[in-house]
Amino acid sequence: MFRNILKKGRRLAGLGSLVAALTVVAPAMAQDKEPVVFGGSIPLSGVFAFAGIHIHAGLTDYTNWINSQGGINGHPVEYVMEDTAYEVDRSVAVFKKISGSSSPATYYGDSTGFMKAIASELNSQGDTLMSGASFATALTDNEQYPYQFIPGPNYSQMFGIILEYIATQGEGGDMPTVAFVYSDTEFGKDPIENGKARAGELGIDVVEEIVTKPGSVDVSAEVLKLRRVRPDYVVFHGYVLSPINEFMVQMRQMGLDTQFMGTFWSSDKLIIDKMGADADGYMGVMPYNYYDSEESGPMLDALRTQAEKSDPEAGYRPTGYMQGWFNAMVWTEVVKRTLDAGKELTGDNMAESLASIEDWDTGGIIGIPVTVRNMSFPVGRIWRVNAEEGRYEPVSDWIHLD
Amino acid sequence: MDWVFFGEISLAGLAMGGLYALIALGFVIIYKATRVINFAIGEIMMFAAYLFLAFAGGMELSPWIALPLAVIGGSILGGVIEKTMIRPMLGESPISVVMVTIGIGSILVGLVEFIWTADPQLLPSFLPREPVFIGPLYLAPKIAYGFLIGSALLIAYLLYFRFSRGGVALRATASDQAAAYSMGINVRRVFNMAWVFGSLAASLAGVLVAATGGLSPQFGIIGLSVLVVVIVGGLDSILGALVAGVFIGWLETVAGAYLGGEYRMPATFLVLAVILVIRPYGLFGTHEIERV
Repeated sequence: MFRNILKKGRRLAGLGSLVAALTVVAPAMAQDKEPVVFGGSIPLSGVFAFAGIHIHAGLTDYTNWINSQGGINGHPVEYVMEDTAYEVDRSVAVFKKISGSSSPATYYGDSTGFMKAIASELNSQGDTLMSGASFATALTDNEQYPYQFIPGPNYSQMFGIILEYIATQGEGGDMPTVAFVYSDTEFGKDPIENGKARAGELGIDVVEEIVTKPGSVDVSAEVLKLRRVRPDYVVFHGYVLSPINEFMVQMRQMGLDTQFMGTFWSSDKLIIDKMGADADGYMGVMPYNYYDSEESGPMLDALRTQAEKSDPEAGYRPTGYMQGWFNAMVWTEVVKRTLDAGKELTGDNMAESLASIEDWDTGGIIGIPVTVRNMSFPVGRIWRVNAEEGRYEPVSDWIHLD
Repeated sequence: MDWVFFGEISLAGLAMGGLYALIALGFVIIYKATRVINFAIGEIMMFAAYLFLAFAGGMELSPWIALPLAVIGGSILGGVIEKTMIRPMLGESPISVVMVTIGIGSILVGLVEFIWTADPQLLPSFLPREPVFIGPLYLAPKIAYGFLIGSALLIAYLLYFRFSRGGVALRATASDQAAAYSMGINVRRVFNMAWVFGSLAASLAGVLVAATGGLSPQFGIIGLSVLVVVIVGGLDSILGALVAGVFIGWLETVAGAYLGGEYRMPATFLVLAVILVIRPYGLFGTHEIERV
């Protein structure tokens, strides 16, 4: 019996060796072609590390997945990154290092500040297409930033989607009123002027604007201001968690029935995990399906399988992960279109390929086909927290801005 | 003018100012006794707030047990820092010591990120949630109860410094180290005690402020903004820390409410600039005259 087991074991070992040999040879065959490099200045430490870690995981998992699919037109993909601690000077240094050593075709920028700072160098080099953590409206200015794009709607477009949703919620001909609450940062102020203009076009009255410091601050005075104007909706922007929780809790303690909404970085599951039942009813605009949503599609399923494979213990993957994956997906599509057209991977050619994306099926990452407008994907959906279920649920259709 | 609104805003500002005063007290106690400007005070606050999170959130202890444990943990941290990192710097230039405190702050941020990750956190709710009304004026419950707890510690401190042997030793050392030493006071122990007491005040403030506004590894920046309070009040004046803390809290809140949130800091820095011109040693600070 023991001999039998040994014999079977040898057979299995032989089979295993063959599989292992094939596994080694297959990538080697793909590696006959030059690798396409995805570069990245990634904030694995510092104030943005909470998202950076997941962005990195999304980029890594996508790279492994695309290589398992044979790369891009047979070109293997290499993901080269370094930590930046979310500091612009370090991000710039990392970019110079990686672009000098690895010639990345595409690059992940960790902040609006970095992406603005690097623009002139990126423009003069002309061989890299960049996107990243930023959804800044300014980066969709094609004249100034021809080689940068937004992997979703920019912040002004997010406000546009939120306001379109609010406009549909009026009852008896009354348009709801809204207050904007934003952080006193470049990030926080980004969509405010455009948001006010769009609200005006839709006939929505912006009854109050509150500016706060980002993060841990006391907002009781600001809550008192909101109590005076009693807005139907408060839209937050420029925060991750605090002080959104304090606004919601204190306003509800005052008996106000205001609804609360936020933009991309304020709409992660973190809000549910940390606020618990207090998060119930909070709404966010999100261009991607949540990892734990009931939606499906070939790419969304592949993402879930890859995420499970790379870290079976991780469970839910935050929006940063989805964002990292989607960035790499767009890069792949752009590189593929450029190579298919028989063109070199230059900034101009890749920007042209990006602009050609029309009615693109993202395989379930975004619920409808998307079209690039002004170097962004102006699409999103409103999701509402169901605290009992511990997740976001869609409350609107997908909204694609023109 | 809507006086009810002004009254509510002022109350919120004064209550927040009470917490500023508590942090400033932590700053001043250490400076007064040891002449060290402790730039790590914010990070000590942060560390204590994370300890509270660990005890009340992770270990699920009652918040009323977690609170003293976290505060004691923060004060022990202060004592250990003094003994292991500040004491060996005795006799070195003040700039070197300041740089050490900045370094300690960075280490604490790294440690917190390592243990609790960089994710923003909310502390388990432990203060009553029912709205507080003082006459017709509304006050957010967290701020109101935070102010009460902070005030209790402030009063305990004032009584301790006034009447206890340890308090007298601390005041004597602050007045004249050499004289205190010649009178048999264990100056080194007083230095350590100052760090323990200063860190204890900061730790309590840390938990109370984090309970109001949330917690992240960057939370310590609040400690730096309280530097304005300390300079306005006078670096070595406990009375100054209390008065300036309450005043700056009120001013910040009123400026934020009437001028907009972006004017909170400019308003306080304007006051700082004026005070520095009129009384460079602060409202209640010691005016030292050096004759060369």
